[in-house]
Amino acid sequence: MRPLGHTATTLLVLVYLGAALAVLQGFFGAGLPVHFGASLVAHVSGMAAGYGAAVMLISMSRAPWLERGVGAHRLARWHASGAPLLIILTVTHASAAVVAWAQAKSVGPLSATADVLNLPGLVTALIGTAILVLIGLASLRVVRRRISYERWHLLHLLTYLAVGLGFAHQLAGPDLVGRSWLQIAWALLYCYAFALVLRWRVLQPAFQLWRHRLRVEDVRRESKDVMSVLMSGQHLDELRAEPGQFFRWRFLTRETWRSAYPFSLSAPPTPHRLRITIKANGDGTRRLFDIPTGTLVFAEGPYGVLTRRRRRRPRVLLIAGGVGISPMRSLFEVIDLPGKDVTLVYRASREQDLVLRHELDEIAERSGARVVYLVGPSSDAANDMSAHALNQIVGGLSDHDVYLCASPRLASRVRDSLMDDGFPRRQLHEERFTF
Amino acid sequence: MSDAALDYRRLILRIARPSVTAPPSLIRWTLRIVTLTLFGVATAIGVTLGIGAPEISPTSVVHHDHVASP
Repeated sequence: MRPLGHTATTLLVLVYLGAALAVLQGFFGAGLPVHFGASLVAHVSGMAAGYGAAVMLISMSRAPWLERGVGAHRLARWHASGAPLLIILTVTHASAAVVAWAQAKSVGPLSATADVLNLPGLVTALIGTAILVLIGLASLRVVRRRISYERWHLLHLLTYLAVGLGFAHQLAGPDLVGRSWLQIAWALLYCYAFALVLRWRVLQPAFQLWRHRLRVEDVRRESKDVMSVLMSGQHLDELRAEPGQFFRWRFLTRETWRSAYPFSLSAPPTPHRLRITIKANGDGTRRLFDIPTGTLVFAEGPYGVLTRRRRRRPRVLLIAGGVGISPMRSLFEVIDLPGKDVTLVYRASREQDLVLRHELDEIAERSGARVVYLVGPSSDAANDMSAHALNQIVGGLSDHDVYLCASPRLASRVRDSLMDDGFPRRQLHEERFTF
Repeated sequence: MSDAALDYRRLILRIARPSVTAPPSLIRWTLRIVTLTLFGVATAIGVTLGIGAPEISPTSVVHHDHVASP
């Protein structure tokens, strides 16, 4: 992954600063001098959880300055590591609060739980917590593998409800009451977080649908489980999409409208057409194979930093694995270097999995760029994707910018090998997609 | 096609037409105004909620006395 940029660094500093202030307020809320016990844990974890929930919302708001400055993948990674912590803090807060109540009132845990739930806003907060825990459980790898992406995605949308349900309790919580400016700041934090979500996850795609009227023009099978979708619309140049970027696509048919899928452009965008190439990974994506032409498309984006603007070195190596060829195909066409010193290494298990091959050959022939196909089992020495093998293919690997898009396993193997070999991180550009 | 369907179709076309004919600058400004309005409304709601928030916490057992406050 590329090093943190200015935006990401500034944001991280602000987030940590905010977290420190929230925790500090938790200490003050518990009362001074500090007395370690269940009450203090409840105060501190409650403030941290409330703050974390707002940060999580903002990080997933798809605001362009966030997506461009930090990167969709890094945001998703922050979200994936922050969300479990948020759930743990919320559960810790609820448990510690009940224990503290039981101690203060000298009652048993059941009686304390009943007392606490009788307080205003606590039942809704409990429902919110239960929803968060449910989402957390559904996101555990072992459970996640057993449920479809569509169900998981629908469940995930309940996060907004969960966060909303906890808000009233936070505003009336003992850490904020009596401090008007703090209550206003807290309410503003949540209102702005929801406004960002509304602006960029609802209004923007709805506006894009209205302005661009994107529709499926043609669906073409590339192989048994890969297809290309050609879409046409108006004023698509205003999207300022670049080769290598992706959108989150929602195809508005009765069967598919509920889920948005991230797919990269597989051809350079034009003012009237966009194309994606997708692989059937499950029932949901397989259903996309039957989209009728004329279907309206709700598109969020463009996102992603895997563009030619990232290039710093005089030579370029594009590495694609499987359907990871999609963004590489569009980059391959537009990366314009003196002498066209561009090499595309395309890895697939079988010959029939090499999609868009005729287009790649045509681009290579026209521009003088080079395509290397590595087909067959990975145990075959000829298909080695280590830094050493890649250096043998292109020569002078360190003079290259490397663009990588492949399955998580292959991408990780290539990345690790490059890093172990001392390849500069800033010259490695990748976008990772996992459902 | 029934009259109602035709009316509906005309209505859709009327709403959709400006999306195609409007110049990009008008679209950009419209979006800016939408964003400003949205955040203006969010600010108003946030301040109202903050000012109207309770002054005494219903969850404090004894305020500021090292005791429970879920």
